[in-house]
Amino acid sequence: MSDRRRINGPVGATIPPASEDGASREVAGSRGGRSRPPNAIRKMYLKTGVTPSASGSAYLEIETSGRSGVSGLKLSCTVHGPRSLPRSSPFSPHIILSTHVKYAPFATRQRRGYLRDPSERDLGTHLEAALRGAIIADRWPKSGVDIIVSIIEGDQDRETSKTQGDESWDLMNALSGCITVASAALADAGIDCIDTVAGGVAALVSDKGDGNPSIVIDPIPSEHDRILAACCIAYLPTRDEVTNLWFKGDLPASDAELYTKLVEKGIQASAKANRVLVECLGETVG
Amino acid sequence: MATSSGTTSIATPGQLLGPASKFQPGPGTHIHNSNLYSSLLGVVHASQPAKPPGPSKRLTKITVPTQTPAELPTLSVSRTGVSEKREVLPEVGNTVLCRVTRITPRQAVVAILICGDTVLEAEWQGLIRVQDVRATEKDKVKIYESFRPGDIVRAEVISLGDQANFYLSTARNELGVILATSEAGNNMYPVNWKEYMDPETGLSELRKVAKPY
Repeated sequence: MSDRRRINGPVGATIPPASEDGASREVAGSRGGRSRPPNAIRKMYLKTGVTPSASGSAYLEIETSGRSGVSGLKLSCTVHGPRSLPRSSPFSPHIILSTHVKYAPFATRQRRGYLRDPSERDLGTHLEAALRGAIIADRWPKSGVDIIVSIIEGDQDRETSKTQGDESWDLMNALSGCITVASAALADAGIDCIDTVAGGVAALVSDKGDGNPSIVIDPIPSEHDRILAACCIAYLPTRDEVTNLWFKGDLPASDAELYTKLVEKGIQASAKANRVLVECLGETVG
Repeated sequence: MATSSGTTSIATPGQLLGPASKFQPGPGTHIHNSNLYSSLLGVVHASQPAKPPGPSKRLTKITVPTQTPAELPTLSVSRTGVSEKREVLPEVGNTVLCRVTRITPRQAVVAILICGDTVLEAEWQGLIRVQDVRATEKDKVKIYESFRPGDIVRAEVISLGDQANFYLSTARNELGVILATSEAGNNMYPVNWKEYMDPETGLSELRKVAKPY
């Protein structure tokens, strides 16, 4: 697994020294609560055609939650193709998707390696499933398309202690962003799709104040005490179809409909992101 | 949203364009639940159908009869004006321009450069088999008397082919070599249907010559 071609940094985490300001806030214990209503997603900025050398590209930025030290999500996606398949591959009557998701080494608190790790492969597989349902694959026989998403900045609170273990929840937010940005880049590349697909996340959270867990959309792990369960949805609004569903966590057994409610909220979050996506695509032509 | 006249509007993938009973689907659109949707990001064009041509004199080819009523306007979504980059895939029946890269006794390997009137971004490989070079006396065709590496050839796509190659044919008068270089390195001019001549050395070389338009 070790990368021999490049000069590697030191093994293990490199944590920048915490500033006086941040440390005092941590002691005071003022974990900023959710600043938005439970059914509002964060503001996002989306732009297509940012990489001239690619067939299609897009850039997505999701705003920070307003606290210093909390970074937003910054994603860049490039689409290369449709292009001819390598000579060794067999005949394919439809387009062959290959998706790559890569965190930049500096994107998260824990420094990432240059090689893809299992969580990045996982994201790539989920992204491929989400996009495959949206693409009209038989319009492009004998061709392949590469979709590469670079996570320039992860969605992470750098001040929160590492013990919280919210890395896996960050993955959900990253995936929903990946789906939205890849869909924009595919439309920019001129690959036939049945619809624009956007990602949305809903989560069941419990906060310190009240005992009852509540459902919020587009959660930031650091804004809540505990995330019980979360789901990431890729949704086609005009078809009313879900192309990818990723559910994680434990639901309390008391409410049987909680699962459906969570999925519904995820669809709601995805539909909101889709409105931004369609607006952005309309601007590129005009 | 739906453009009944020739006005243009912008469509995003998945946008409803109109009922399938009133429009015919063109490039960049698809049909779902008897409605016409856009499948590309681009400009919507509605084109009125041309007057149905009179009955053809004689069927020279067996074609699938078109069932769709001809009086419906065709809706299409095109990427012109959105971006100059537009990948096209060579389709069966398209006329392509290609450069010969390699010849063997059984086939000529070509690189497809232009499809229709679009310059291709990606490199697609094509194959002209010895039986597809010309329509008559197929058994007497020799590849090295028809093509040489470096020639520019106008050909027609006859099949998507195998995993790597499109199958091309030059079995028509107006298909064949349109630009050839002699062994001395000079551009040659066509003399007849099977010969090119070097203007400087005066030597002629054999080619499958395309009839000038």
